[in-house]
Amino acid sequence: MSEMITFTINGEERTVVIEPGMMLIELIRDVLNLTGTKHGCDNSTCGTCTVVMDGKAIKSCNTPAEKAAGTKIITVEGLAQGTQLHPVQKAISESGAVQCGFCTPGIVMELYGLLESNPDATEAEIEQALNKHLCRCTGYEPIRDGALMARKLIQERKK
Amino acid sequence: MNYKYIGKPYLRPDAINKVTGKAVYLDDVRLPGMLYAAVLRPQYAHALIKKVDTSAAEKCPGVVKVVTGAGCKFRYGDNIRDLQPMAVTKVRYIGDPVAAVIADTPAHARAALDKIAVEYEPLPVYTDALDAMAKGAALIHEDMDDYWRLPTLKQTSGTNIANTYHLKKGRGEEGFDEAEVIIEGEFNYPLGSCAAIEPHGTIVWFKEDNTIEVWSTSICPFIIREDLAHSYGIPIGDVRVHITDLGGCFGYKSDITTEQTIAWIASFVPGHPVKWMGTREEDFTSTLLAHGIRTRMKIGAKKDGTLVAIKTTLYHSGGAYADTAVNVTIASTHNSTGPYEFKHCDLTGYTVYTNTPAVGAYRGYGHQESQIATERMMDMLARKLGMDPLELRKKNFLSEGKINAVGEKMYKHNGNILECANRVQKMLAESVKPKEDDLYYYGRAQVTVMKSPKGAPFSTKGCYMKMNVDGSVNVNMGGAEVGQGLRTVIKQVAAEALKIPPEKVRVYNEIDTQFSPYEWQTIGSMFTTQGGRAIIRAADKLIASLKKTAAQVLKADEDFMEYDGEYVYLRNDPDMKVAVGDLARGYITSDGITIGELAQSVSDARLPRYSNPDANGQGSIGVDYTMGSQAVELRIEKKTGKILIDHYYSVFDVGQVINPLQIRGSVLGGVMMSIGAALYEQVIFDKDGKIVNPHYFKYHIPTFKEAPEQTIEFVETPDPIGPFGARGIGEHSVIGAAPAILNAVYNAIGVDFNEIPLTPEKVKAALEARKETK
Repeated sequence: MSEMITFTINGEERTVVIEPGMMLIELIRDVLNLTGTKHGCDNSTCGTCTVVMDGKAIKSCNTPAEKAAGTKIITVEGLAQGTQLHPVQKAISESGAVQCGFCTPGIVMELYGLLESNPDATEAEIEQALNKHLCRCTGYEPIRDGALMARKLIQERKK
Repeated sequence: MNYKYIGKPYLRPDAINKVTGKAVYLDDVRLPGMLYAAVLRPQYAHALIKKVDTSAAEKCPGVVKVVTGAGCKFRYGDNIRDLQPMAVTKVRYIGDPVAAVIADTPAHARAALDKIAVEYEPLPVYTDALDAMAKGAALIHEDMDDYWRLPTLKQTSGTNIANTYHLKKGRGEEGFDEAEVIIEGEFNYPLGSCAAIEPHGTIVWFKEDNTIEVWSTSICPFIIREDLAHSYGIPIGDVRVHITDLGGCFGYKSDITTEQTIAWIASFVPGHPVKWMGTREEDFTSTLLAHGIRTRMKIGAKKDGTLVAIKTTLYHSGGAYADTAVNVTIASTHNSTGPYEFKHCDLTGYTVYTNTPAVGAYRGYGHQESQIATERMMDMLARKLGMDPLELRKKNFLSEGKINAVGEKMYKHNGNILECANRVQKMLAESVKPKEDDLYYYGRAQVTVMKSPKGAPFSTKGCYMKMNVDGSVNVNMGGAEVGQGLRTVIKQVAAEALKIPPEKVRVYNEIDTQFSPYEWQTIGSMFTTQGGRAIIRAADKLIASLKKTAAQVLKADEDFMEYDGEYVYLRNDPDMKVAVGDLARGYITSDGITIGELAQSVSDARLPRYSNPDANGQGSIGVDYTMGSQAVELRIEKKTGKILIDHYYSVFDVGQVINPLQIRGSVLGGVMMSIGAALYEQVIFDKDGKIVNPHYFKYHIPTFKEAPEQTIEFVETPDPIGPFGARGIGEHSVIGAAPAILNAVYNAIGVDFNEIPLTPEKVKAALEARKETK
């Protein structure tokens, strides 16, 4: 049976009808037309579909759409304020972490989820978070550099 | 050389779109009236199709049409026309398209696939070239002799051999009579996948006005355009192909992959765009695979280490269709000498039909597949001669004045491989090798590698350039941005050539064959070299046109005009000047009369004097080379046999670094991919030809924690072809890892491995066998 749910996405309250078996990624990409969140595999392995739900990074491809009800979701489209990039976006765009960019939305959201809740995350915590994401282009070093730069920017912002 | 904008770490113009989620990839394209296709794949890897019943599927919810291959009369392919958009009489591999459902949603299309009933008559399955070549093997293409092929290709009738390439230099195999020491070996670089994070996808729209519009995850829009025009009998200009942002390529989005299949499907519902987005599984089973090359190699040398003769026999499991594999075989065969001179060469490469997905390009294009043999053999030969393996290599480098396998003379400007080798040698010497301890064995090894582009007679790249009234410039090219960063390269090269800041250069985003200049394909690590040259040519023409108009304005001769990016001025009186922006639309005089022409230009550039090989495989077919050296330091965990890469070193002579941030990123990523191939990655088939591991969680690609520390440096011996001396580097970093790791494993435990991936199980078994023999 179709179901009607209400949730907040990128600061905006939305009420939508969802179909049985629908996953959060389909709700985001196909119902709400927010195509920044990507689909890279069939088995929640690659991490590019990551969004932040109630402050926590989750994979939208294995999260049933009905779980969105009553939550606050942020996707990669929800971070920048006009032309002002979020520190994670700024750092990732400047550290060489972007090549093809297909894993980028997931990595940006993973780091946003981690660093906004824990600006003092240790390198081990950052590594643990990034190890959930596949990147075929960069050899990961520039992503680590970007993550550390983002942490610094966020720490400075909070001072 | 000191340049103003070349050699600086400018940021990618596409980075902000990519971090904000605004970059548009194929699956993000939404069109009015769009329908969705799902494709049925067979249960057998080799079988005759006896009957297809689509009636039940046609009745499923949302289904618009069910399509089969029945009635398809054409074949396609650029090298061998052996492909069909959908199986007609038989299936030849486990991902062959058998039928398709077109529906209102992707879910409806997928749901109806199960309702298509197909009767098959199974045939013998061959997943390895050696089995498919065996006497009496069933034929995968019975009508192979009837296929159109390039005049340079030759099948063996009545077998599964789609092409045999042969190269003879000097006296060929007879040259071994000059050798004092001969060694032989067999090596295997098995089937793998590029496995880009974005799977393949295509949208095709047959329009009511008899034109075709396409969007695809491809790096060869102009080939797609020509191919579809040919198949459907319409003018090439009536096929319009868009290339969106691409989520990685690494090779397998070159050549025609899924576009003809989706076009065939869409041709049944004219008026509607039809979208097919591959699943991860289909990306493995039904697009292009990589490698699949077994190399038998014999090398003869003098006692002092001078290489004399090489014989290579290469067996390529090319897959069910050989169109895309055949050039990989050829490149792999003639580059199997590595960066060394052999007086006598006898090199043979067989492209063989097998019941596996077609093999196509993968970063490195055949070089790592045969140079795994060369680089292992160098260490083995050194052992036999009692020489230091690096000294043996240095003695035989393709340095200035040497002649390579295809007969090209090497010049100083082809790169200083000795300097690359010396630098890596020094890096290794400065790092102390740990002694074996309770937990680990330690090993290290250094290799040297070479890569040439795989060109074609018409492999050109075009450039359109226009100047605006504020002096800013738009540059439009046909090069596909797959992540390699070519838009940054264009910006910097154009800025340097036009003497304007990169901020004033705007580079195109999407490719659209309606508006983009012609480009053969964005392959072979050739964009910087050829595209860069095209930009410089266009800039020179643009500047000449500005000078021509300025000469009229300043009432002086054109050859007295000087250009500095802001003004065109009189050489002997710089105060007599006119701003370039005032010349952009021609120059408008005070009375409104306009003189001169629009400031715009068109150009293109190829590899100079590329030629087809002659009957012995000799010719100007490489033209440009990048050489380098790589090394690995690794540990083997005693308990598990697991190999851990501690440090990886790369030094390449790239002519001129254009962007230090990007070039490091390119090498970092290439090294990581090739470590994946050496340690983890293999597409595995069962005896029936089914792929056992078509998912990331079974086909493991390297993760964050598996990334080693990397030291990367560049030598800069300017290249006369590339812009400001730069040469290609996109693929070269993948070549050394497999042999370096295998050689380092020998260094650690004294066991020779000649195939990859070198999994913990294989190492552990070897460690245990070694214990038993002790």
